[in-house]
Amino acid sequence: MESNEPNPERLADIFESSLHLEDTHYTQGYQEGYNDGLGPGKEEGREVGLKTGFEMGEELGFYRGCIDIWNSALMVNPECFSSRVQKSVKQMDELLLKYPLSNPEDESGSDILDSLRLKFRGICASLNVKLEYNGYPKASEDF
Amino acid sequence: MMNMEDEEFELKEVSILSGHSDKVWSVSWKPTSEGSDVPSVLASCSGDKTVRIWEQTSQGSYHCKAVLDETHTRTVRSCAWSPSGRHLATASFDATTAVWEQVGDDYECVATLEGHENEVKSVSWNASGTLLATCGRDKSVWIWEMMPGNEFECVSVLQGHTQDVKMVQWHPSMDILFSCSYDNSIKVWAEDGGDDDWHCVQTLGEQNSGHTSTVWALSFNYSGDKMVTCGDDLMIKIWGFDLLKTQSGDGIAQWEHICTLSGYHDRTIFSVHWSREGIIATGAADDAIRFFIPSEDGLIDGSSYKLILRKDKAHDMDVNCVKWSSSENRQLASASDDGTVKIWTLASMHGNIK
Repeated sequence: MESNEPNPERLADIFESSLHLEDTHYTQGYQEGYNDGLGPGKEEGREVGLKTGFEMGEELGFYRGCIDIWNSALMVNPECFSSRVQKSVKQMDELLLKYPLSNPEDESGSDILDSLRLKFRGICASLNVKLEYNGYPKASEDF
Repeated sequence: MMNMEDEEFELKEVSILSGHSDKVWSVSWKPTSEGSDVPSVLASCSGDKTVRIWEQTSQGSYHCKAVLDETHTRTVRSCAWSPSGRHLATASFDATTAVWEQVGDDYECVATLEGHENEVKSVSWNASGTLLATCGRDKSVWIWEMMPGNEFECVSVLQGHTQDVKMVQWHPSMDILFSCSYDNSIKVWAEDGGDDDWHCVQTLGEQNSGHTSTVWALSFNYSGDKMVTCGDDLMIKIWGFDLLKTQSGDGIAQWEHICTLSGYHDRTIFSVHWSREGIIATGAADDAIRFFIPSEDGLIDGSSYKLILRKDKAHDMDVNCVKWSSSENRQLASASDDGTVKIWTLASMHGNIK
Protein backbone atom coordinates (compact mmCIF):
# COMPACT_ATOMS: atom_id res chain seq x y z
CA MET A 1 0.00 0.00 0.00
CA GLU A 2 1.23 3.29 -0.98
CA SER A 3 1.47 5.67 1.84
CA ASN A 4 1.33 9.40 1.56
CA GLU A 5 3.08 9.63 4.80
CA PRO A 6 6.68 10.76 4.20
CA ASN A 7 9.25 8.23 5.18
CA PRO A 8 10.91 9.72 8.26
CA GLU A 9 14.23 8.16 7.42
CA ARG A 10 14.38 9.61 3.93
CA LEU A 11 13.31 12.93 5.29
CA ALA A 12 16.34 12.92 7.57
CA ASP A 13 18.52 12.22 4.56
CA ILE A 14 17.09 15.10 2.60
CA PHE A 15 17.65 17.57 5.38
CA GLU A 16 20.85 16.14 6.70
CA SER A 17 23.17 18.45 4.79
CA SER A 18 21.18 21.50 5.86
CA LEU A 19 20.93 20.30 9.45
CA HIS A 20 24.69 20.03 9.67
CA LEU A 21 25.30 23.15 7.64
CA GLU A 22 26.45 25.11 10.67
CA ASP A 23 28.82 22.36 11.82
CA THR A 24 30.31 21.92 8.37
CA HIS A 25 30.88 25.60 7.90
CA TYR A 26 32.32 25.90 11.37
CA THR A 27 34.85 23.14 10.73
CA GLN A 28 35.74 24.58 7.35
CA GLY A 29 36.09 28.07 8.77
CA TYR A 30 38.14 26.85 11.67
CA GLN A 31 40.55 25.06 9.34
CA GLU A 32 40.91 28.11 7.11
CA GLY A 33 41.46 30.35 10.11
CA TYR A 34 43.92 27.95 11.62
CA ASN A 35 45.93 27.73 8.42
CA ASP A 36 45.89 31.47 7.92
CA GLY A 37 46.81 32.13 11.54
CA LEU A 38 49.63 29.64 11.66
CA GLY A 39 52.07 31.74 9.67
CA PRO A 40 51.45 35.19 11.23
CA GLY A 41 51.08 33.59 14.70
CA LYS A 42 54.47 31.98 14.51
CA GLU A 43 55.93 35.22 13.26
CA GLU A 44 54.29 37.22 16.06
CA GLY A 45 55.41 34.73 18.68
CA ARG A 46 58.91 34.98 17.34
CA GLU A 47 58.81 38.76 17.58
CA VAL A 48 57.45 38.77 21.16
CA GLY A 49 60.07 36.17 22.07
CA LEU A 50 62.81 38.25 20.55
CA LYS A 51 61.59 41.40 22.27
CA THR A 52 61.14 39.80 25.71
CA GLY A 53 64.36 37.86 25.36
CA PHE A 54 66.18 41.02 24.40
CA GLU A 55 64.71 43.00 27.32
CA MET A 56 65.55 40.28 29.80
CA GLY A 57 69.02 39.85 28.40
CA GLU A 58 69.59 43.58 28.46
CA GLU A 59 68.54 43.86 32.11
CA LEU A 60 70.64 40.86 33.14
CA GLY A 61 73.57 42.28 31.17
CA PHE A 62 73.15 45.62 32.92
CA TYR A 63 73.41 43.93 36.33
CA ARG A 64 76.35 41.81 35.17
CA GLY A 65 78.14 44.99 34.10
CA CYS A 66 77.54 46.66 37.47
CA ILE A 67 78.66 43.55 39.39
CA ASP A 68 81.84 43.25 37.32
CA ILE A 69 82.73 46.88 37.97
CA TRP A 70 82.00 46.55 41.70
CA ASN A 71 84.06 43.36 41.85
CA SER A 72 86.94 45.09 40.06
CA ALA A 73 86.73 47.97 42.51
CA LEU A 74 86.87 45.47 45.36
CA MET A 75 89.96 43.83 43.86
CA VAL A 76 91.70 47.20 43.76
CA ASN A 77 90.56 48.08 47.25
CA PRO A 78 88.91 45.31 49.30
CA GLU A 79 87.76 47.93 51.81
CA CYS A 80 85.95 50.17 49.37
CA PHE A 81 82.50 48.78 50.28
CA SER A 82 81.08 47.76 53.64
CA SER A 83 80.87 44.05 54.36
CA ARG A 84 77.11 44.23 53.91
CA VAL A 85 77.41 45.69 50.41
CA GLN A 86 80.15 43.19 49.55
CA LYS A 87 77.85 40.37 50.58
CA SER A 88 75.02 41.75 48.46
CA VAL A 89 77.34 42.06 45.45
CA LYS A 90 78.36 38.44 45.92
CA GLN A 91 74.71 37.36 46.22
CA MET A 92 73.82 39.20 43.01
CA ASP A 93 76.78 37.54 41.29
CA GLU A 94 75.50 34.12 42.34
CA LEU A 95 71.95 34.91 41.31
CA LEU A 96 73.14 35.95 37.86
CA LEU A 97 75.06 32.71 37.45
CA LYS A 98 71.97 30.77 38.50
CA TYR A 99 69.69 32.47 35.98
CA PRO A 100 68.39 29.92 33.44
CA LEU A 101 69.46 31.90 30.39
CA SER A 102 69.01 29.12 27.86
CA ASN A 103 65.85 27.63 29.29
CA PRO A 104 62.93 30.03 28.91
CA GLU A 105 60.52 27.40 30.29
CA ASP A 106 62.30 27.37 33.67
CA GLU A 107 60.10 29.58 35.82
CA SER A 108 62.75 30.17 38.48
CA GLY A 109 63.95 32.94 36.15
CA SER A 110 61.27 35.40 37.21
CA ASP A 111 61.96 34.83 40.93
CA ILE A 112 65.67 35.34 40.35
CA LEU A 113 64.99 38.53 38.42
CA ASP A 114 62.79 39.81 41.30
CA SER A 115 65.56 39.09 43.82
CA LEU A 116 68.15 40.74 41.57
CA ARG A 117 66.05 43.89 41.31
CA LEU A 118 65.58 44.11 45.10
CA LYS A 119 69.27 43.45 45.83
CA PHE A 120 70.28 46.02 43.23
CA ARG A 121 68.03 48.68 44.77
CA GLY A 122 69.48 47.90 48.18
CA ILE A 123 73.08 48.20 47.02
CA CYS A 124 72.41 51.47 45.21
CA ALA A 125 70.71 52.89 48.31
CA SER A 126 73.60 51.82 50.57
CA LEU A 127 76.20 53.25 48.16
CA ASN A 128 74.04 56.33 47.78
CA VAL A 129 74.28 56.17 44.01
CA LYS A 130 71.53 56.65 41.48
CA LEU A 131 71.89 53.83 39.00
CA GLU A 132 68.87 52.68 37.13
CA TYR A 133 68.30 50.16 34.43
CA ASN A 134 66.20 52.15 31.96
CA GLY A 135 63.88 49.33 31.06
CA TYR A 136 63.13 48.59 34.70
CA PRO A 137 59.38 48.43 35.22
CA LYS A 138 58.27 50.69 38.06
CA ALA A 139 56.06 49.03 40.62
CA SER A 140 53.69 51.95 40.43
CA GLU A 141 53.19 51.49 36.71
CA ASP A 142 51.98 47.95 37.06
CA PHE A 143 48.40 49.07 37.18
CA MET B 1 42.47 48.46 85.01
CA MET B 2 39.60 47.04 87.08
CA ASN B 3 38.77 50.37 88.60
CA MET B 4 39.10 52.25 85.32
CA GLU B 5 35.96 50.49 84.23
CA ASP B 6 33.96 52.24 86.89
CA GLU B 7 35.42 55.64 86.20
CA GLU B 8 33.96 58.31 83.99
CA PHE B 9 36.25 60.26 81.76
CA GLU B 10 36.37 63.57 79.98
CA LEU B 11 38.80 64.82 77.36
CA LYS B 12 40.22 68.22 78.21
CA GLU B 13 41.87 70.36 75.58
CA VAL B 14 45.27 71.50 76.80
CA SER B 15 46.58 73.35 73.80
CA ILE B 16 45.97 74.01 70.10
CA LEU B 17 49.13 74.05 68.01
CA SER B 18 48.61 76.26 64.97
CA GLY B 19 51.29 76.97 62.42
CA HIS B 20 51.07 74.40 59.67
CA SER B 21 49.47 75.80 56.52
CA ASP B 22 48.14 72.45 55.28
CA LYS B 23 46.90 69.09 56.59
CA VAL B 24 48.85 67.69 59.52
CA TRP B 25 49.53 64.01 58.91
CA SER B 26 51.42 62.70 61.87
CA VAL B 27 52.86 63.55 65.28
CA SER B 28 55.58 61.98 67.42
CA TRP B 29 56.35 62.61 71.10
CA LYS B 30 60.02 62.84 71.90
CA PRO B 31 60.85 60.04 74.36
CA THR B 32 61.76 61.26 77.83
CA SER B 33 63.74 59.38 80.40
CA GLU B 34 61.69 58.17 83.32
CA GLY B 35 61.08 60.73 86.03
CA SER B 36 62.92 63.55 84.31
CA ASP B 37 61.34 66.97 84.44
CA VAL B 38 62.41 68.15 80.98
CA PRO B 39 59.54 69.77 79.08
CA SER B 40 57.51 67.60 76.68
CA VAL B 41 58.57 67.90 73.03
CA LEU B 42 56.42 66.96 70.06
CA ALA B 43 57.19 66.80 66.33
CA SER B 44 54.47 67.24 63.70
CA CYS B 45 54.63 66.93 59.93
CA SER B 46 52.38 68.29 57.24
CA GLY B 47 51.25 68.70 53.67
CA ASP B 48 52.96 72.10 53.83
CA LYS B 49 56.28 70.17 53.41
CA THR B 50 57.52 71.16 56.85
CA VAL B 51 58.14 69.52 60.18
CA ARG B 52 57.50 71.53 63.34
CA ILE B 53 59.00 70.93 66.76
CA TRP B 54 56.81 72.01 69.68
CA GLU B 55 57.86 72.36 73.28
CA GLN B 56 55.76 72.64 76.38
CA THR B 57 56.23 75.81 78.38
CA SER B 58 56.22 75.92 82.16
CA GLN B 59 52.61 77.15 81.96
CA GLY B 60 51.65 73.94 80.19
CA SER B 61 50.94 75.39 76.74
CA TYR B 62 53.02 74.56 73.69
CA HIS B 63 55.05 76.79 71.42
CA CYS B 64 56.85 76.12 68.14
CA LYS B 65 60.58 75.75 68.75
CA ALA B 66 61.73 75.00 65.21
CA VAL B 67 60.45 74.64 61.65
CA LEU B 68 62.29 72.11 59.52
CA ASP B 69 61.53 73.35 56.04
CA GLU B 70 64.59 73.10 53.86
CA THR B 71 64.79 69.44 53.02
CA HIS B 72 61.56 67.91 51.84
CA THR B 73 60.05 69.09 48.58
CA ARG B 74 56.66 67.47 49.03
CA THR B 75 54.25 66.43 51.82
CA VAL B 76 55.92 65.05 54.94
CA ARG B 77 53.72 62.08 55.74
CA SER B 78 55.27 60.57 58.85
CA CYS B 79 57.76 61.38 61.60
CA ALA B 80 59.35 59.35 64.39
CA TRP B 81 61.82 60.10 67.19
CA SER B 82 64.49 57.51 67.82
CA PRO B 83 64.14 55.79 71.23
CA SER B 84 66.99 57.89 72.62
CA GLY B 85 65.34 61.07 71.36
CA ARG B 86 68.56 62.08 69.62
CA HIS B 87 67.27 61.63 66.09
CA LEU B 88 64.08 62.44 64.27
CA ALA B 89 63.23 60.56 61.07
CA THR B 90 60.79 62.06 58.57
CA ALA B 91 59.23 60.31 55.57
CA SER B 92 58.07 62.31 52.59
CA PHE B 93 56.15 62.02 49.34
CA ASP B 94 59.36 63.30 47.69
CA ALA B 95 60.57 59.65 47.91
CA THR B 96 63.13 60.39 50.61
CA THR B 97 63.41 59.81 54.34
CA ALA B 98 65.42 62.40 56.26
CA VAL B 99 67.15 61.92 59.60
CA TRP B 100 67.60 64.99 61.78
CA GLU B 101 69.76 65.68 64.78
CA GLN B 102 69.46 68.50 67.26
CA VAL B 103 72.47 70.81 67.22
CA GLY B 104 72.06 73.45 69.87
CA ASP B 105 68.64 74.95 69.27
CA ASP B 106 68.67 73.96 65.61
CA TYR B 107 67.91 70.74 63.82
CA GLU B 108 70.28 69.54 61.15
CA CYS B 109 69.51 67.01 58.45
CA VAL B 110 72.31 64.47 58.93
CA ALA B 111 71.19 61.83 56.44
CA THR B 112 68.84 61.45 53.51
CA LEU B 113 67.71 57.93 52.69
CA GLU B 114 66.92 57.40 49.04
CA GLY B 115 65.65 54.14 47.65
CA HIS B 116 61.88 54.23 47.37
CA GLU B 117 60.63 54.86 43.85
CA ASN B 118 58.02 57.35 44.99
CA GLU B 119 55.98 58.44 48.04
CA VAL B 120 57.33 57.24 51.40
CA LYS B 121 54.36 56.78 53.72
CA SER B 122 55.74 55.78 57.10
CA VAL B 123 58.90 55.46 59.16
CA SER B 124 59.65 53.56 62.39
CA TRP B 125 62.69 52.94 64.64
CA ASN B 126 63.26 49.59 66.31
CA ALA B 127 63.51 49.37 70.10
CA SER B 128 67.28 49.76 70.20
CA GLY B 129 67.32 52.61 67.68
CA THR B 130 69.73 50.80 65.35
CA LEU B 131 67.26 49.89 62.62
CA LEU B 132 64.89 52.11 60.70
CA ALA B 133 62.02 50.83 58.59
CA THR B 134 60.24 52.71 55.80
CA CYS B 135 57.42 51.84 53.43
CA GLY B 136 55.53 53.46 50.61
CA ARG B 137 53.48 53.56 47.46
CA ASP B 138 55.97 51.36 45.58
CA LYS B 139 54.60 48.46 47.70
CA SER B 140 57.99 47.83 49.28
CA VAL B 141 59.21 47.85 52.87
CA TRP B 142 62.82 48.87 53.52
CA ILE B 143 65.02 48.18 56.52
CA TRP B 144 68.00 50.45 57.12
CA GLU B 145 70.74 50.19 59.72
CA MET B 146 72.23 53.24 61.33
CA MET B 147 76.03 53.01 61.16
CA PRO B 148 78.61 55.14 62.95
CA GLY B 149 78.87 58.67 61.58
CA ASN B 150 75.16 58.90 60.74
CA GLU B 151 75.63 56.60 57.77
CA PHE B 152 72.66 54.45 56.81
CA GLU B 153 72.97 51.14 55.06
CA CYS B 154 70.16 49.27 53.39
CA VAL B 155 69.70 45.95 55.19
CA SER B 156 66.86 44.62 53.09
CA VAL B 157 64.24 45.57 50.53
CA LEU B 158 61.08 43.59 51.18
CA GLN B 159 58.42 42.93 48.61
CA GLY B 160 55.23 41.12 49.48
CA HIS B 161 52.38 43.57 49.69
CA THR B 162 50.45 43.87 46.45
CA GLN B 163 49.46 47.50 47.06
CA ASP B 164 50.52 50.75 48.71
CA VAL B 165 52.00 50.09 52.18
CA LYS B 166 50.42 52.54 54.65
CA MET B 167 52.42 52.02 57.82
CA VAL B 168 55.42 50.22 59.29
CA GLN B 169 55.87 49.64 63.00
CA TRP B 170 58.52 47.71 64.94
CA HIS B 171 57.54 45.51 67.83
CA PRO B 172 58.18 47.43 71.11
CA SER B 173 60.82 45.01 72.39
CA MET B 174 61.82 42.57 69.62
CA ASP B 175 63.24 43.06 66.15
CA ILE B 176 60.07 42.01 64.40
CA LEU B 177 58.58 44.39 61.87
CA PHE B 178 54.92 44.90 61.02
CA SER B 179 53.43 46.55 57.96
CA CYS B 180 49.86 47.23 56.90
CA SER B 181 48.58 48.01 53.46
CA TYR B 182 45.94 49.04 50.96
CA ASP B 183 45.92 45.33 50.06
CA ASN B 184 43.89 44.79 53.31
CA SER B 185 46.63 42.76 54.99
CA ILE B 186 49.10 43.07 57.83
CA LYS B 187 52.48 41.43 57.28
CA VAL B 188 54.97 40.30 59.90
CA TRP B 189 58.66 40.40 58.92
CA ALA B 190 61.54 38.77 60.78
CA GLU B 191 65.17 37.94 60.25
CA ASP B 192 66.19 34.34 59.72
CA GLY B 193 69.55 33.86 61.42
CA GLY B 194 71.69 36.96 61.80
CA ASP B 195 72.31 37.30 58.12
CA ASP B 196 70.21 40.18 56.77
CA ASP B 197 67.84 37.47 55.59
CA TRP B 198 64.53 39.18 56.32
CA HIS B 199 61.32 37.73 55.07
CA CYS B 200 57.59 37.65 55.68
CA VAL B 201 56.76 35.17 58.45
CA GLN B 202 53.03 35.78 58.61
CA THR B 203 50.28 37.53 56.69
CA LEU B 204 47.13 38.52 58.56
CA GLY B 205 44.40 38.82 55.98
CA GLU B 206 40.70 38.33 55.60
CA GLN B 207 41.04 34.56 55.95
CA ASN B 208 42.56 35.03 59.43
CA SER B 209 39.56 37.13 60.57
CA GLY B 210 41.47 40.19 59.36
CA HIS B 211 40.37 43.41 57.74
CA THR B 212 38.25 43.53 54.60
CA SER B 213 39.60 46.87 53.44
CA THR B 214 42.67 49.11 53.73
CA VAL B 215 44.53 48.70 57.03
CA TRP B 216 45.64 52.19 58.06
CA ALA B 217 47.45 51.77 61.34
CA LEU B 218 48.64 49.42 64.04
CA SER B 219 49.88 49.76 67.59
CA PHE B 220 51.11 47.53 70.40
CA ASN B 221 50.19 47.29 74.05
CA TYR B 222 52.94 48.04 76.56
CA SER B 223 54.11 44.49 77.06
CA GLY B 224 54.05 43.77 73.35
CA ASP B 225 51.92 40.62 73.39
CA LYS B 226 48.93 42.34 71.82
CA MET B 227 48.45 44.43 68.71
CA VAL B 228 45.57 46.63 67.63
CA THR B 229 44.82 47.46 63.99
CA CYS B 230 42.26 49.71 62.30
CA GLY B 231 41.08 50.46 58.83
CA ASP B 232 38.66 51.44 56.11
CA ASP B 233 36.30 48.63 57.10
CA LEU B 234 35.39 50.62 60.27
CA MET B 235 36.73 47.81 62.44
CA ILE B 236 39.25 47.72 65.24
CA LYS B 237 40.91 44.35 65.61
CA ILE B 238 42.90 43.03 68.54
CA TRP B 239 45.56 40.39 67.90
CA GLY B 240 47.66 38.41 70.34
CA PHE B 241 50.74 36.23 70.27
CA ASP B 242 52.93 34.19 72.57
CA LEU B 243 55.63 36.70 73.46
CA LEU B 244 57.48 34.41 75.89
CA LYS B 245 57.77 31.61 73.38
CA THR B 246 59.22 34.01 70.82
CA GLN B 247 61.59 35.57 73.35
CA SER B 248 62.88 32.16 74.34
CA GLY B 249 64.11 31.75 70.77
CA ASP B 250 61.69 28.93 70.15
CA GLY B 251 60.69 30.28 66.75
CA ILE B 252 58.36 33.18 66.10
CA ALA B 253 54.91 32.56 67.48
CA GLN B 254 51.98 33.18 65.15
CA TRP B 255 49.62 36.08 65.76
CA GLU B 256 46.00 35.24 66.31
CA HIS B 257 42.84 37.27 66.10
CA ILE B 258 41.41 37.90 69.57
CA CYS B 259 38.43 40.13 68.94
CA THR B 260 36.90 42.73 66.66
CA LEU B 261 35.39 45.99 67.86
CA SER B 262 32.70 46.97 65.37
CA GLY B 263 29.78 49.34 65.40
CA TYR B 264 31.69 52.16 67.05
CA HIS B 265 32.81 53.98 63.90
CA ASP B 266 30.94 54.91 60.76
CA ARG B 267 33.81 56.53 58.86
CA THR B 268 37.36 55.35 58.12
CA ILE B 269 39.58 54.89 61.19
CA PHE B 270 42.95 56.40 60.26
CA SER B 271 44.86 56.03 63.48
CA VAL B 272 45.00 53.87 66.56
CA HIS B 273 47.35 54.07 69.55
CA TRP B 274 47.61 51.99 72.70
CA SER B 275 48.66 53.83 75.86
CA ARG B 276 51.10 52.42 78.43
CA GLU B 277 48.28 51.80 80.86
CA GLY B 278 46.09 50.10 78.28
CA ILE B 279 43.75 52.74 76.84
CA ILE B 280 43.22 52.50 73.09
CA ALA B 281 42.65 55.81 71.29
CA THR B 282 41.38 56.10 67.72
CA GLY B 283 41.27 58.99 65.27
CA ALA B 284 38.78 58.83 62.43
CA ALA B 285 37.37 60.55 59.36
CA ASP B 286 34.34 61.68 61.37
CA ASP B 287 36.54 64.25 63.21
CA ALA B 288 36.12 62.36 66.48
CA ILE B 289 38.50 60.71 68.94
CA ARG B 290 37.37 57.58 70.80
CA PHE B 291 38.77 55.70 73.77
CA PHE B 292 38.47 52.02 74.61
CA ILE B 293 39.55 49.90 77.56
CA PRO B 294 39.48 46.17 78.21
CA SER B 295 36.22 45.16 79.78
CA GLU B 296 35.59 42.35 82.20
CA ASP B 297 31.90 42.35 81.38
CA GLY B 298 30.73 38.80 81.01
CA LEU B 299 34.03 37.46 79.80
CA ILE B 300 36.47 35.64 82.01
CA ASP B 301 39.44 35.96 79.69
CA GLY B 302 38.96 39.72 79.38
CA SER B 303 38.97 39.61 75.61
CA SER B 304 36.37 42.29 75.34
CA TYR B 305 36.74 46.04 75.06
CA LYS B 306 34.38 48.86 75.72
CA LEU B 307 34.08 52.43 74.59
CA ILE B 308 34.68 54.77 77.51
CA LEU B 309 34.53 58.10 75.72
CA ARG B 310 33.76 59.60 72.34
CA LYS B 311 34.94 63.14 71.71
CA ASP B 312 32.91 64.46 68.79
CA LYS B 313 34.24 67.41 66.79
CA ALA B 314 37.67 66.97 68.32
CA HIS B 315 38.81 68.66 65.10
CA ASP B 316 37.06 70.48 62.27
CA MET B 317 38.15 67.82 59.79
CA ASP B 318 39.55 64.24 59.59
CA VAL B 319 41.71 63.13 62.51
CA ASN B 320 44.79 61.62 60.85
CA CYS B 321 46.84 60.65 63.85
CA VAL B 322 46.47 60.14 67.60
CA LYS B 323 49.48 59.53 69.87
CA TRP B 324 49.74 59.08 73.61
CA SER B 325 52.61 60.80 75.33
CA SER B 326 55.21 58.34 76.57
CA SER B 327 55.12 59.80 80.05
CA GLU B 328 52.32 58.62 82.27
CA ASN B 329 50.20 61.74 82.27
CA ARG B 330 47.39 60.57 79.99
CA GLN B 331 48.30 63.26 77.52
CA LEU B 332 47.31 62.70 73.89
CA ALA B 333 48.25 64.57 70.71
CA SER B 334 46.03 64.56 67.65
CA ALA B 335 46.76 65.76 64.11
CA SER B 336 44.12 66.76 61.61
CA ASP B 337 43.30 67.80 58.07
CA ASP B 338 42.22 71.12 59.64
CA GLY B 339 45.91 72.04 59.93
CA THR B 340 46.12 71.90 63.71
CA VAL B 341 47.61 69.65 66.32
CA LYS B 342 45.74 69.45 69.61
CA ILE B 343 47.02 68.31 72.96
CA TRP B 344 44.49 66.68 75.26
CA THR B 345 44.36 65.21 78.72
CA LEU B 346 42.10 62.29 79.41
CA ALA B 347 40.85 63.17 82.84
CA SER B 348 38.84 61.17 85.28
CA MET B 349 35.68 62.88 86.50
CA HIS B 350 35.84 62.44 90.23
CA GLY B 351 32.73 62.31 92.32
CA ASN B 352 30.63 60.82 89.59
CA ILE B 353 28.83 57.72 90.66
CA LYS B 354 28.06 55.32 87.89
